[in-house]
Amino acid sequence: MEIIIAGAGEVGTHLAKLLSKENHNITVIDKDAHKVHLVSSHSDVMGVVDNAISFYVLKNAGISSCDLFISVTENEETNITAAILAKKLGAKKTIARIDNNEFLLEENKDVINDLGIDSLIYPQKLASEEIIQLLKQTGSTETFDFSQGHLSLYTIKLEKGAPIIGKSLKDVSNESNEFDYRAIAIYRKSKTIIPNGNDVFQENDLVYVISNKSGVSSLMKTTGKEKIAIKNVMILGGSRIGKRTAKELQKKMNVKLIERNEEKSKELADILNDTLVLNGDGSDTELLLEEGIKKMDAFIAVTDNSETNILSCLLAKRFGVKKTIAEIENIDFIDLAEDIGIDTIINKKLLAASKIYGYTISAEVSTVKCLTGTEAEVMEFIAHEGSKITNKPLSEVDFPDNAIIGGVTKGNNSFIAKGDTVIEANDRVVVFTLPEAIHKLEKFFK
Amino acid sequence: MNKRIIFFILGRLLLIESFFLILSAIVSLIYGEQEYKAFLYTAGLSIGVGLIAWLLNRKTEKVLGKKEGYVIVSLVWVIFSLFGALPFVFSGSTPNYADAFFETMSGFTTTGSSILDAKQIDELAYGLHFWRSITQWMGGMGIIVMAIAIFPILGIGGMQLFVAEVPGPSKDKLHPRIKETAKRLWGIYILFTLAEAVLLYLSNYINPGDNPVTVFDAICHSFTTMATGGYSTHGASIAYWQSSYIHYVIIFFMIIAGTNFTLSYFAMQGKFHKMRHDEEFKSYIGIIIVFTVMITFFLVFIHDNEIARSFRDSLFQVVSIITTTGFATVDYIKWAPFMYVIIFVLMFLGGSAGSTGGGMKIVRVVLIIKNSYFELRRLLHPHAIIPVKFNKQSVDAKIITNVLAFMVIYVMIFVFGTIVISSMNYNLDTSMGAVAATLGNIGPGIGKVGPAENFAHFPDFAKWFLSFLMLLGRLELFTIFVLFSRSFWRK
Repeated sequence: MEIIIAGAGEVGTHLAKLLSKENHNITVIDKDAHKVHLVSSHSDVMGVVDNAISFYVLKNAGISSCDLFISVTENEETNITAAILAKKLGAKKTIARIDNNEFLLEENKDVINDLGIDSLIYPQKLASEEIIQLLKQTGSTETFDFSQGHLSLYTIKLEKGAPIIGKSLKDVSNESNEFDYRAIAIYRKSKTIIPNGNDVFQENDLVYVISNKSGVSSLMKTTGKEKIAIKNVMILGGSRIGKRTAKELQKKMNVKLIERNEEKSKELADILNDTLVLNGDGSDTELLLEEGIKKMDAFIAVTDNSETNILSCLLAKRFGVKKTIAEIENIDFIDLAEDIGIDTIINKKLLAASKIYGYTISAEVSTVKCLTGTEAEVMEFIAHEGSKITNKPLSEVDFPDNAIIGGVTKGNNSFIAKGDTVIEANDRVVVFTLPEAIHKLEKFFK
Repeated sequence: MNKRIIFFILGRLLLIESFFLILSAIVSLIYGEQEYKAFLYTAGLSIGVGLIAWLLNRKTEKVLGKKEGYVIVSLVWVIFSLFGALPFVFSGSTPNYADAFFETMSGFTTTGSSILDAKQIDELAYGLHFWRSITQWMGGMGIIVMAIAIFPILGIGGMQLFVAEVPGPSKDKLHPRIKETAKRLWGIYILFTLAEAVLLYLSNYINPGDNPVTVFDAICHSFTTMATGGYSTHGASIAYWQSSYIHYVIIFFMIIAGTNFTLSYFAMQGKFHKMRHDEEFKSYIGIIIVFTVMITFFLVFIHDNEIARSFRDSLFQVVSIITTTGFATVDYIKWAPFMYVIIFVLMFLGGSAGSTGGGMKIVRVVLIIKNSYFELRRLLHPHAIIPVKFNKQSVDAKIITNVLAFMVIYVMIFVFGTIVISSMNYNLDTSMGAVAATLGNIGPGIGKVGPAENFAHFPDFAKWFLSFLMLLGRLELFTIFVLFSRSFWRK
């Protein structure tokens, strides 16, 4: 696929890195020479130092034969204009990143499409959706549904005292009669391991588990996670993410939102009728105690400042809040923040990149999820008639070392993959893969 | 540093060299020579070593960092020369290994300085001639660039390697993928080589000289012209043919070889405006015209030569030196001193960035002249922001600093090298000539290393030293020097 990315910010850079590992030809355009140099020296892409809103620049970058144009600069207007130009100059598909929910409204969709923009990405919305999803399943730090929820991916951090620590994968599967979930990867000390039966779970492991619906409760039990019903939520920061999250949650839960800026607080109070909007500083312990932080079930820090978010989450953790979620802008901090005990990190850039990445995948792949903190991805493939993977037990398939099959959905039934599982045509297969193996996978399902 | 990935890749690269060694053995066999054995022994050795290095390390993690990139690029040129020298020794034509190494390094770096005298060159076996020419051809576009085009494994860290090998202050890609860029570069390189070989052979029908151009001559000379190498299959170099057609064909292809291949690629796609508006290309052609007119003028008025002949001779020598090819149709040392001093100055300019030529590169010289001129204006207007512009875009200050550092180091090495050579009892002409000719990858210098002379008279130490200068010049100093910096080896 010929892909042009306008904007070498974090989303652009991350996408370029992700996509260049596969069979795509990528050109990255940005005004900032330094950023372009960074991305073109770390990934196999062509860098162009120029303004993306230019007929000349776009034509030179090969817009007429471009399959996908992605504009993800910091500026919404630039993104929209660039995408419109790109479409008129011949790009087959255009995606623009926006900062304004109005564009996404159903009634405005036709206008946007008429202009020539096929898809819009609104990272703040993605982030608030992610937060809401996480509050539903508190045991895991990240969840994702495949095959309309028949199979789900859970990322679980093993904390001290979890019953599973010290056991090998074999032990765990021997203990239960039902085979409803399976650990497909372990993230340990900044390395992603695809485990075999003899690998032993350790404290602080981040375990990626594929589970079907009936497996969830026993999975939570063995990993030492109890389900907490979230009733009281405190949100720090009245940013767009904070506002959206509060708006969604306020009907079902008690939501308190703390915002530093007085003007903004008033504005928020006007919109959020069922939320208690507080004007104050999140690092003010007195205020937090006064507002009952100790009784909170979840604490969500989504100010514009990553450091504030990390610190206030740590504070909340110390006051006994069970679930803490911090929004962190800097991708490099993610590992660190997870290490020091914050339950879940939200990064809207990674979420945006993951969403856009979904547009580039081939017909065989129906869903894809890029995992936070590791480079690995989880993809759902549809096995085609006569493809290499079908009609023999998995143990006989020469599957790449850096990838593993997690589960299979046949019609409405989902199974966890075992050595004797046989995949048939039109089954949906969830595969966990490291970036090195992505390009090898397609041929198994074609 | 991951040593295993270095051995893994070097092992594979050796197989490329083995392929060309076998090709030379076949040429030897075609001409019924005994030298094919020397090639086969060497090929066997390099295949063996290559396979061992490759297979023993094939399980390593395939990640190439910047450091590994520099080590691989530097080592591959040395290793290729170490093995490439063996056929000369095994065949007995050049028994001294220092001589053979010099000859091979001079080949791969497209220098073209030789330790063979005119008589030895005329008597050299076909197989060895072919090997000499093919080393230049490989080195011209670059061993690594060829490997990137062939081996998929180099795709991931390929840019690191590409940057370390391709000449010029900034490296352009022709295609988003490094592998595709490398394929396109080698593609037009092969195309030009074929075109030249055909045109040279056609001279037999169009404008035959006193001697015929054989198929072998045509192929070998196209290899060494497009690589701006300068090895010839005849002791008299191009002067062997006194045909204006042959001279002009070679001039034309030397000019192309000294032009940025990216521009040639665009020109072949019909985008001639890119070439027309390129400042480096314009300066390059401008310099050739100015110096040719100057030398023609003096040849006509001082030496009383005929105008057409003087023009052709001066154009040929100017192009041959500025592109760092090193072919000769006349011995410029016999001209008045003023003229060969001009030729000597040209040795420092070199071809364009992204060409097969050596030297400092035109773009660097233009940037420095512009920057120096602006420095005067900056003195008068201390608050003015005066960026150096190139091709209508302002050049990043980092690049200017890099170019300045390059020039300073280049001159320092030149001075240091001259001192080293003169310490072996050579006069100033010869010392400066030998260093400028090897560091700039030109071939012939001035003094006792002029176009009619050779490098055999140097002691072994000087040969090793000059071989090192050739490598420095080909990889544009930094790639090699960075290996000698302490911060490179610090963990």
